[in-house]
Amino acid sequence: MSSMYLPKLAKIVEVIEMTAIEKLFKLQFVNEEDAKSFTFKPGQFVEVSVPGVGESPISICKSPTRPGPLELLIRRVGRVTNAIHKLKPGDVVGIRGPFGNGFPMEKMKGYDVLLIAGGLGIAPLMSVLQYVVDKRRDYGDVILLYGVRSYQEALFRDMIIDFIRHPEKAGLRTFLSYEREDPVFVSLMKDHPENVRKGVVTVLFECADPYIKPDKVCAVVCGPPIMYRFVLKELAKRNIPPNNIYITLERRMKCGVGKCGHCVVGGATAIKYVCKDGPVFTYSDVLSVRGLV
Amino acid sequence: MRYVKLLKENFKDFFENLKKFGEVHAPVKRGNSFSFAKVDSPSEVALKYNRTILPPKKYFIKPFEEVLKIKVGKGYEPLVEEPKSLILLGLHACDINALKILDSIYLDEPPDDYYQIRRTATVIIGISCEPDDYCFCKSMGADYAWTGFDLFLHELDNSYLIRIGSSRGEVMIESMKNVISEPTKEDFIKLRDIELKRSRMFKKALNTSLLPDIVDSLYESDVWVKFSDKCVSCGSCNLVCPTCRCYDVTEKVELNLKEGVRVRRWDSCFIRSHALVAGGLNFRPTRLDRFRHRYNCKSSIEPRTNSPFCVGCGRCSAFCPAGIDHVDVLNAIWGLT
Repeated sequence: MSSMYLPKLAKIVEVIEMTAIEKLFKLQFVNEEDAKSFTFKPGQFVEVSVPGVGESPISICKSPTRPGPLELLIRRVGRVTNAIHKLKPGDVVGIRGPFGNGFPMEKMKGYDVLLIAGGLGIAPLMSVLQYVVDKRRDYGDVILLYGVRSYQEALFRDMIIDFIRHPEKAGLRTFLSYEREDPVFVSLMKDHPENVRKGVVTVLFECADPYIKPDKVCAVVCGPPIMYRFVLKELAKRNIPPNNIYITLERRMKCGVGKCGHCVVGGATAIKYVCKDGPVFTYSDVLSVRGLV
Repeated sequence: MRYVKLLKENFKDFFENLKKFGEVHAPVKRGNSFSFAKVDSPSEVALKYNRTILPPKKYFIKPFEEVLKIKVGKGYEPLVEEPKSLILLGLHACDINALKILDSIYLDEPPDDYYQIRRTATVIIGISCEPDDYCFCKSMGADYAWTGFDLFLHELDNSYLIRIGSSRGEVMIESMKNVISEPTKEDFIKLRDIELKRSRMFKKALNTSLLPDIVDSLYESDVWVKFSDKCVSCGSCNLVCPTCRCYDVTEKVELNLKEGVRVRRWDSCFIRSHALVAGGLNFRPTRLDRFRHRYNCKSSIEPRTNSPFCVGCGRCSAFCPAGIDHVDVLNAIWGLT
């Protein structure tokens, strides 16, 4: 019996409160063999189980270049994630995976990397960000556009503010947009008018444009579904080849291996399983597969 | 392909021999309908039947099954069943072709263990049939089974011409030497004539050339609205479809809150929750979205078998409480009605 449906036990070693509804969970596999055999690529996801409650697909929020526990940034939004949020260090969950194709980090070698995240979309992109920062010489310039609602709702906010204040230390250019005013971001905007804007994430293109070289860049996008349409339009406007634009998608993925059918997208000419053929797709896929975004 | 002949008067012996290889399940009459069920004698078997309500998929992906045992706070244990040798007798060609479609999904890497164990332990014996008003398997290229069976029985006048489709079928036939004989030249001529006659009997036809493109490109057609307005979103078409394979996963916990099971059960893309994600966002929020999704899914081509996801068995139309006919919908999309 292969074990693709059997969750492996992982112990919560640390819980970091990120916002009112989001926590970062650090997990260690209970069985040493499981820990050793678990390898993943940026952009892949796992199915997290709370025994007796159920299972939920969650993106891996770290790069394989970094040792240490598995990291998952989880928003309290449904039955399973509510149950996960009640857990404490020492508690045990089930992990299946990793699943999905992940981002083509090899193919992106030699390119500048433009990361565009909206809200919780920063979680899967954190795996790419850490990866390119850790393999700095393999990639060109790194640009991060992050759109949030407010300071209170911003994820990794201290890190983002630090990136903006000390770009030379961070090794990347960071741009931040926010929708609701608050003293921290207002003062940050005052100090760094070139990096911080009020509005949705697309307002940041104006700031980042001088650094975006369309023929030299790979764009990586993740955010709420509504964001893709607008961001992809902006990227297309800048003539970035559709095959160099990557998005990662959310669907109701129950099995993770292309059997249960919940994440099927597309018209009759192209049926795709988001869990197996994705969750990472290119803009070319978006143009040819119906209903992808 | 090797052929042998079984006289109808020997069918009882053939049936008794089958039992040596496993539990025999075959179509039986239930009221006005048919259903695959365990049979002990040939008299129970309805060899001439139009279609069973549930397709043979019920033997491989169970309508409801416990897959993992849960120990709350401790983890999960797999619930693996002992493989049981099963003989599925009397599958029509469309259902055999549908199983090949299910195989392409469930046995594709990584294979689904639960499905694979049952599939490997099951002998498939096909039987010839005649189309009724709902059958359009000929249009879908699924009216004849070239592969996917161990034995296939073609009814001639007073005998069956048996095609042997696998080495397992060979072994079974070898053990029945006393009940079978060699077919004659006349038997093959009879088979040809019967097949020719059968292929002219289809009343229902669907134009399948370009079908995926037609369905996809006419996504905004009013035809979808017209038919989805009649649809009651009951999901019956999904349940009776031999290639619909979606399942849902839930957990049940005992009252002691210490133990439970993870179960999976058939799901339907017509149910609102099918594309609903946590937080309330639904990727197919309206009945129209779900209606079009099913026709897109069924009209698409499975890349490994290069065949459509619909085999034309007619069940979705025959058992639709709203009287929606699969072929009528697609012919309307084609502009043929």
